[in-house]
Amino acid sequence: MIKFFEKAPYSPVEYAYDVEEILYIGKSKFQEIKVIRNPYFGMMLILDDVVQLTERDEFFYHEMLTHVVLHAHPHPRKVAVIGGGDGGAVREVLKHMSVEKVYFIEIDEAVLQVSRKYFPGVSSGIDDPRVEIKIMDGAEFMRKRKRPDIDAVIIDSTDIIGFARSLFTNEFFTAVKNCLQDEGMFVTHTESLHFHKDMVIEIQDVLKGVFPIVDLYTAPIATYPGNWWAFAVASKELSPRELRQKPAIQTKYYCDEIHRQAFLPKGLYKKLMQRKLPW
Amino acid sequence: MIRTFNIEKFHADIVPESTLFKVLKYLDKEHVKTPILLMDRSKIREKTSLIGHYISNARVFYAVKANPDSAILRFLNKLGMGFEISSEGELEILSTLRVKPERIISSNPVKSLKFLHMASLYGINYFSFDSFDEVEKIAKIIPHSHVYVRLSVPNEGSEWPLSKKFGVELDEALELLIYAQKKRLKPVGITFHVGSQCTNLYNWNIALDKAKTLWDMAEKKKIKLGVLNIGGGYPITYTKNVISIETIEHNVNSLIYKRFPKGTAIHIEPGRAVTGDAGILVTSVIGKATRCDEQWLYLDVGVFNGLMESVGGIRYSYIVESDKHARNKKQWTVAGPSCDSFDIIDTNVVLPEPRIGNLILILSGGAYTVSYASEFNGFSIPKTILI
Repeated sequence: MIKFFEKAPYSPVEYAYDVEEILYIGKSKFQEIKVIRNPYFGMMLILDDVVQLTERDEFFYHEMLTHVVLHAHPHPRKVAVIGGGDGGAVREVLKHMSVEKVYFIEIDEAVLQVSRKYFPGVSSGIDDPRVEIKIMDGAEFMRKRKRPDIDAVIIDSTDIIGFARSLFTNEFFTAVKNCLQDEGMFVTHTESLHFHKDMVIEIQDVLKGVFPIVDLYTAPIATYPGNWWAFAVASKELSPRELRQKPAIQTKYYCDEIHRQAFLPKGLYKKLMQRKLPW
Repeated sequence: MIRTFNIEKFHADIVPESTLFKVLKYLDKEHVKTPILLMDRSKIREKTSLIGHYISNARVFYAVKANPDSAILRFLNKLGMGFEISSEGELEILSTLRVKPERIISSNPVKSLKFLHMASLYGINYFSFDSFDEVEKIAKIIPHSHVYVRLSVPNEGSEWPLSKKFGVELDEALELLIYAQKKRLKPVGITFHVGSQCTNLYNWNIALDKAKTLWDMAEKKKIKLGVLNIGGGYPITYTKNVISIETIEHNVNSLIYKRFPKGTAIHIEPGRAVTGDAGILVTSVIGKATRCDEQWLYLDVGVFNGLMESVGGIRYSYIVESDKHARNKKQWTVAGPSCDSFDIIDTNVVLPEPRIGNLILILSGGAYTVSYASEFNGFSIPKTILI
């Protein structure tokens, strides 16, 4: 069987996946898109030679990316999902009955099309009437939208050092804050606590310059190098550690217990931020 | 304004993601005044806590010549580093930072009289030497001070060899130690230098064997030594991976343990290893040309205003600001801005084609760049900024 070797730039390990079948290889305006099938993980979406999701384990990432902020918020109505052209995050957001509107901002339309065709289970929500798709740069969307009426902003981007960098700047975070309601929440992935600890700290620091409340939780993602994946969460008033609704949705991994234990213990968090974690 | 850069996997082996993130963040503005040298504080901090960590009884003295920027020195001083200096100019900077004299040594075997007078006033007490005249100079200006003799050792495998200019062989080294004692100096130890950017692990083996021979010879003459200064030479990554500091230090530590008495004070003088890979030189493309079949790329930093070491064979890695997915790469001759035909940084460099005015990041540019630079031809020396 041929193998696919992942080329994640900032990973000290290199993953190799058996390839049962190559279903799609194409170049969009922004990146190279591949779809392959692996005997264990099933269908896999690969952007610029970095694995974005697999059919088998995508729910870990998508559930943990979305449900923490949506349960910490008392009543999310309007949600913006930036990136995540596969639709996985949107599918999870739509599980919340309170959600009336999802702005789905993706820069690369080709990812949406590929996902519709090869990952119907992931992209199932994107044609829901509550979803408004906008093909544009998420940074621009946030900058231009000046009303503070969004309850949650969820970033589902590719790696930080790359063309997703515009979603990790001070200006962007400020624009997000200006679009959020007082009870609003913001979440973004910040790579692995094993391999990219300095990046995790760096993003926390940048966010702290913008938001009064900044925190960190993690989830185990088998197919992202470093596995122990960190999510940065920020808000204006509400602590994201607390659940303000009882989970009433169907999930495979996320639940109220997971919500609470996903956050780093406060002592560990403090040590991390003081750069005192010796790994 | 978000700039896009063509970052590839091999860059990741040279510069940490978080350093790059900070650098790019700094550069996200319409006008970046180049050339500038951006130094990552956290990388410097990481290197200072790494160097000397695996060698027992070690003290680390930063070789100021690598990058004498006062903000860097202030930061290192705060981190508790010692300093190795060679001249009155370097001492002047340290004195304005009020660095304690106990934290300063001088390993330049041939010191100016002016420096010795200043060092005497300041209270510096550790000096290297490798000639009889130097013994007389030191004995006269700073009587009773501690001195260590510079032994010549092989420099093969280092990219910037130093042994030819300095160092003496065993017999002469012994005579010098005896002479220093006779002149009422305190001959306390031995130093050597395996050569800067040394990628040959065995240079330390040979050097330590030789030092041990001298140590024993001195003991027979009733000179009891207590300090072993192992110089610098720790390499950093420019284009290809080098042996790690951990590996070098584990090796050196076990060699010292086997050969030298317990409690021997070890001095280390890294320069490049402290600041080199914490620095990214930000330059601009000022011109492009095709000459015969060669593609030429002109930057606002060249041999004279920052990249002097390229003449000695150091090859740098470059990150080019370019449009999304610039995949058409070309082979370039990279040159500096001056009118001198000697001002060529590198040849046969494969890079995506930048536009005039685009930025080019030169990785591992924190050491022996601005400290060598001149304003020849009116081109400015990169300003150093800690980020």
